[in-house]
Amino acid sequence: MKKMIDYIKKEIWSPYVAGILLGVVGVLAVWLSDNLLGASGAFENIAGSVGKAIAPNLFDNLYFNFIMPPGLTWGVVLLIGVFFGGMLGAATSGTLMWGKKGSANSDAQWKRIFGPQIWKRWAIAFIGAIILEYAAGIAGGCTSGLAIAGGMLLAPAAFLFIAGMFASGIVIARLVYGKRY
Amino acid sequence: MTTYIIALVLGVFFGFSLNKAGLTKYHKIVNVFRLTDMAVLQFMMSGLVVSMIGVYSLRALGAITFPNIPATYIVGNLIGGLVFGVGMALSGYCPGTCVAGGGEGKLDYLIPGLLGFLVGAILYGLTYQLVFPAISAMANYGNITIPKLWNVNPFLFVTLFAFISILLFYLIDRAGLHRKDNNQ
Repeated sequence: MKKMIDYIKKEIWSPYVAGILLGVVGVLAVWLSDNLLGASGAFENIAGSVGKAIAPNLFDNLYFNFIMPPGLTWGVVLLIGVFFGGMLGAATSGTLMWGKKGSANSDAQWKRIFGPQIWKRWAIAFIGAIILEYAAGIAGGCTSGLAIAGGMLLAPAAFLFIAGMFASGIVIARLVYGKRY
Repeated sequence: MTTYIIALVLGVFFGFSLNKAGLTKYHKIVNVFRLTDMAVLQFMMSGLVVSMIGVYSLRALGAITFPNIPATYIVGNLIGGLVFGVGMALSGYCPGTCVAGGGEGKLDYLIPGLLGFLVGAILYGLTYQLVFPAISAMANYGNITIPKLWNVNPFLFVTLFAFISILLFYLIDRAGLHRKDNNQ
């Protein structure tokens, strides 16, 4: 029992143990509520809610009315859970960053390669996030909704997506890291 | 109401697993693309093996029916994946890991990440009709699965996938597929 508690408190688990937990969660989502894991879709629901509140005419289109209607969907609630799950995980290993120095530029490797400037990290992350969400729209899901949820159902789409993701990820990492790749 | 409670609890375990796998750290994501730390791949593939066995067994037992299977339209899935990899290598997160990292209190996840996803979602929603119908019409196979497409027993395919994964895990762990990292 003590061994198990000590393991839970570790900052990084074996990726296989964490992966088994992910797999069980993916199965339970289907079994308990007939839903698939996902993350990018929930941002579309939230974007619809925000957009319809600010500019109802602009957001009165096919997509935000019917394809991804706004509101508190199952996926949005799941995402709220993910937020607290990350918090809980960090709390068990004592690595919470709330209010800590360095929380605005959180990764040591990033700082070593690109420097300590916060604006630089935020600008690149912001652009990256826009690209991620737009790409997930085109592909039909992200790493959770398409790669994991689609992959477990053996949808070819998932494996095409994973192949594309690794191919361009490797190229971009090489370009960004240059000689330090 | 029950379904929302299930969503919230499953979300907590999902975010917890992302945190414990280390995927809420920039370097873990980008280093899989630098081939110096394969944790992302190990995590994803072991999750896939477990969940594939789970959902196909439960369906064979009649306990579940499959929800909407993500649609296969070859050009869009592939282009989407290619563009997605660019965003992942730049930011060091994907939508799910960014939310979990935000929960840990990392402001470079919480602010530029969540704002970026919102902007991306708005841009996509406003350009959807220009982009998606054309891309998804190319090589569209609909809500298909590989066993159906190739007309093979799903358990044969799941077994094959499990063996390939275990072989890959063995190679990564034992044969030292970890490339030496100059930046550690």
